[in-house]
Amino acid sequence: MTEHYWGWLVAIYLFLGGMGAGSFLVAAIVELTGERYKHKYCPTTLVGAGVSGPLILIGTVLLIFDLGAGLREPWRILFMFTHFSSVMTWGIWILTIFLPICFLYALIEIMHVHPGLLAWLRKRLRFLPETLPYRRIKRVVCSIGCVFAIGTAVYTGVLLSVVRAIPFWHTPILPILFLVSAVSTGMGLTIDLSATLAVPTVQRRFKYLPVIHIAFIGLEAILLGALLLTSMSQGGEAAESAWWILTGPGSLLFWVIIGGFGLLYPLMVHSYALARHSHGYISGILSGAGIVIAGLFVRFLIVAAAVPVAV
Amino acid sequence: MNQTDGERKGLSRRTFLKAGLTGGLLVAVGGRWLPLSQALAQAQAEYALIIDLNKCVGCRACELACQQRNGLPEGKSFIHILPKGEGEDRWFLPVQCQHCRDAPCEHVCPTRATYHHESGVVLINDKTCVGCKYCAVACPYNARTFNEETGIVDKCWLCLDWVLGGGQPACVQACVLGARTFGRRDDPEIAALLQRAKPLHPEFGTEPGVLHYIFPGD
Repeated sequence: MTEHYWGWLVAIYLFLGGMGAGSFLVAAIVELTGERYKHKYCPTTLVGAGVSGPLILIGTVLLIFDLGAGLREPWRILFMFTHFSSVMTWGIWILTIFLPICFLYALIEIMHVHPGLLAWLRKRLRFLPETLPYRRIKRVVCSIGCVFAIGTAVYTGVLLSVVRAIPFWHTPILPILFLVSAVSTGMGLTIDLSATLAVPTVQRRFKYLPVIHIAFIGLEAILLGALLLTSMSQGGEAAESAWWILTGPGSLLFWVIIGGFGLLYPLMVHSYALARHSHGYISGILSGAGIVIAGLFVRFLIVAAAVPVAV
Repeated sequence: MNQTDGERKGLSRRTFLKAGLTGGLLVAVGGRWLPLSQALAQAQAEYALIIDLNKCVGCRACELACQQRNGLPEGKSFIHILPKGEGEDRWFLPVQCQHCRDAPCEHVCPTRATYHHESGVVLINDKTCVGCKYCAVACPYNARTFNEETGIVDKCWLCLDWVLGGGQPACVQACVLGARTFGRRDDPEIAALLQRAKPLHPEFGTEPGVLHYIFPGD
């Protein structure tokens, strides 16, 4: 590989941005469809709303550390809002609007689940009402937030796909893959991991949940396959990148961690859950962990495998 | 004497002084502006740097001159010499910023730090660059380097200060074999060379502006 300007920091940011956006999306959809209110306790929306903001914020802070002069003179970051032909400028605008929405959703959701929080706040901010129309507020926040969540997940892919100099990245498959992966990791975090850990007896809470899981895992696998196959058929530098992942230094990560632990194993767990209407405690946690870790390594491999055009 | 001494004909002293001062000011300012307007006219000229690859032997004098001119550390330069071919057919390709007309680096830069100067040269504003390196990733010619010390991305800037003053870039001066020719496009010698020269990798779609090459055998 030739000189790499973007390394693991960027990959982690892409992952955290995607998973944060995906967590928000999953929580928002559970909220907006009313599914949340069919259960006494819904860890999915609480975790989804609660972690989306911090995840994206941590990713963004890490990214600032990857800057050069922008780190030493942070006011330069303001200039990044100005150039609308740059995908990075789109991104900073999307995040600037989306982050407060995430934290607002978190606040409202936590207040809804723990009314004591509002009471505590009222003691200090007397203008607050006794109670808030939580569902109505969330309807607005979640609807608007969904647009920006999708924007966040998609822009991270577009950031890479506009770079013609790296043929492996220069494909419309990338933004779609990043969106699907974002939702998948969001589900892995807010459903697999959270629900399994929070609910003692794991029952099939939502009839169609395993189907949705399987659909997204399957879709991610198909998109990854499409990315690699189209790259190989294109030849040249794109094929070099694909082979680096499939048979080269990236192969262990790809086949074992992503393919095995991240795609095949969760697929098996959820197929079992579909058939038997529940899955075990350990398998739920492992499935969630696998999906999340795979999400990180998919982005890492795509960044690391980049081969620029030959001069 | 006052203007109200109305009988007198011709200019009053006040009017004469006003006119004199104003005229003097105009001459002073205009005089200062004259060399600047000449420089601007020169700046608006399009430049061409033609590298004759039949003459380049890969001695790297241009690479080293660039390194020295820009105070770059050992092993770093804004010019890279790429060896091509094998054995008898060995040739060398010096690559630096092509100053593309449709520059991807300019498109992706979030702060507009990378921009086109009037002369057609692509420059980097070191006050607004944040060092995100998106431009370096996007450049198909791999012409940019990240400077760890300053935290910004840097590249060939065509020694524009020398060029605007009527001089030549360091790399052109350094080439002993005369493989590099530099000048304004409307210069007849340059125009003649441009007939034979071609851009490097036009399939990248970036429309190299300043750099042109005469490939081996042409």
